[in-house]
Amino acid sequence: MTDTQPYVAAVGTFAFGRTDLTGRDLFSAAVAEAFADGPDPSAVVDALYVGNQSESYEHQIMHGTLLAEWCGLRHVPAERVEGCAAAGALALRHAVEDVRSGRRDAVLACGVEKMTAGGTAGATNALSAAFDRALEQRSGVTAPSQYALLAQRYLHDTEATERDLARIAVKNHANAAANPRAQFQRETDVETVLDSDYVAPPLKLFDCAPVTDGAAAVLVASEEVAAQFGTDGPSVRVGGVGAGANNIGVADRDLTFVEGAHEAATTAYEEAGVEPSDVDVAEVHDAFTSCEAMLAEAAGFAPRGRGYESALPPAERSDGWTDTHLSTSGGLKARGHPIGATGLAQAVEVYEQLTGTATPARQVENATTGLLINEGGVADAVTVAHVLTT
Amino acid sequence: MTDHTDTPTAPLARDDVTADSPFTLPGFFTALADGDLLAAVCEDCGKRLIPPRPACYACGGRNLHVESQPKTGTVVSYTEVRTPPPALADRAPYTVAIVELDSGARLTGRVTVPYAEASIEMPVRLVARAPDDDEREMALSYEADWPIHEFEPV
Repeated sequence: MTDTQPYVAAVGTFAFGRTDLTGRDLFSAAVAEAFADGPDPSAVVDALYVGNQSESYEHQIMHGTLLAEWCGLRHVPAERVEGCAAAGALALRHAVEDVRSGRRDAVLACGVEKMTAGGTAGATNALSAAFDRALEQRSGVTAPSQYALLAQRYLHDTEATERDLARIAVKNHANAAANPRAQFQRETDVETVLDSDYVAPPLKLFDCAPVTDGAAAVLVASEEVAAQFGTDGPSVRVGGVGAGANNIGVADRDLTFVEGAHEAATTAYEEAGVEPSDVDVAEVHDAFTSCEAMLAEAAGFAPRGRGYESALPPAERSDGWTDTHLSTSGGLKARGHPIGATGLAQAVEVYEQLTGTATPARQVENATTGLLINEGGVADAVTVAHVLTT
Repeated sequence: MTDHTDTPTAPLARDDVTADSPFTLPGFFTALADGDLLAAVCEDCGKRLIPPRPACYACGGRNLHVESQPKTGTVVSYTEVRTPPPALADRAPYTVAIVELDSGARLTGRVTVPYAEASIEMPVRLVARAPDDDEREMALSYEADWPIHEFEPV
């Protein structure tokens, strides 16, 4: 199927949280980590894709040109990829396709977002641009309320409760506590989550991913170029990619099943030749706790209507659940959610799991297959899934 | 309901895409301001699409005609916006919902009652009104006179 196997040659992230650094500075730091054990970017990188949600945070477009220059590249193809929160995995998809085709040997996929620049109001405004202007934006919906429309119906149609959603937040905080890359490296408990204020019922503050500054970088390369990084030789490759869109308006969709995410994951599985039960670790796009429940179903880890059990010990879950570990990084909820960088941060976590370089407290033993699902717009308006394998 | 049987079907020729056509947003909102909520109906699969557009996402067909919609329906899901877009700060909290009209078409809109008084399956009616000052503030130039639609309990 593929001419060239695309390998993950190097990864880096930086500053998931609030910082005085600007987007390009965050990128510089992520690149510094990724290229610490290899040649300079100018020696290998043939093209650059930048996942970035909004020009409103820093009043800056042309991120391809800017960031290429900031890592020592000029006269290479470089462009911004836009797909709201899916921009990062879309950038990764372009890098993978370029290397697969044999057209390029090494492509840098990166993501940058300086979300704290305009405060909560700025982020609310910037994110609302992802909704249909004609009927949704003009009705005053917001990101939490759009997802709450899905969550409300999910709770109505399944046996899930707000306590089940709270458990997902607690689980992801516990994972983030063991992740030095995470924004919230601290645990929480169910009562704290349930006592937090409603942002858009049934979603509360602690069901929501935070506003985050951050950057992530993933170098995708042929085996030959990837061998120039590190000392152990390339070991993780991108075995499958799936991407697809759904309606921009939430009203027209299935409110309790993210069909676009199911399509993206299914395609990625087919390309990689794996089944959901083969997946050891998965980073799912928990912009809100309810998303993790719905994505667990869409990715085939949970039976329909039972994804809300994702934070339960495996023995307490319904029959039909796989043994997949979900969002070992802490997820968007606790690792942080710098919109355009999130998909690449997911890839970084899967890479660390498959290379055995995650911190011991969150390392899944003998992980050989990982999935990331990155959504943009509201839920599966656009979804990208990648399967990484050793 | 207005009879649209003589209305041109979805624009397939470049010159048919005009601000008068109900298949464009200016045409859709002009009709809504006159009290007419329009959908495009796919003649191939029967899907109803609000606002009207030139192709059916359900089947890919481009054989659509415009149809006036009933204004009554029921709430499919709902929530409360507590942290609104800055322009609507003085309006919050407010309720928003996805409503399925009696025709089967769905759309999102604000609801005129507090969250605690709304529920799934609640019967509602769509009303359209001129935008208030705060809504005009968030409008783009060409949207300034487009009506705001809301749902009120029946």
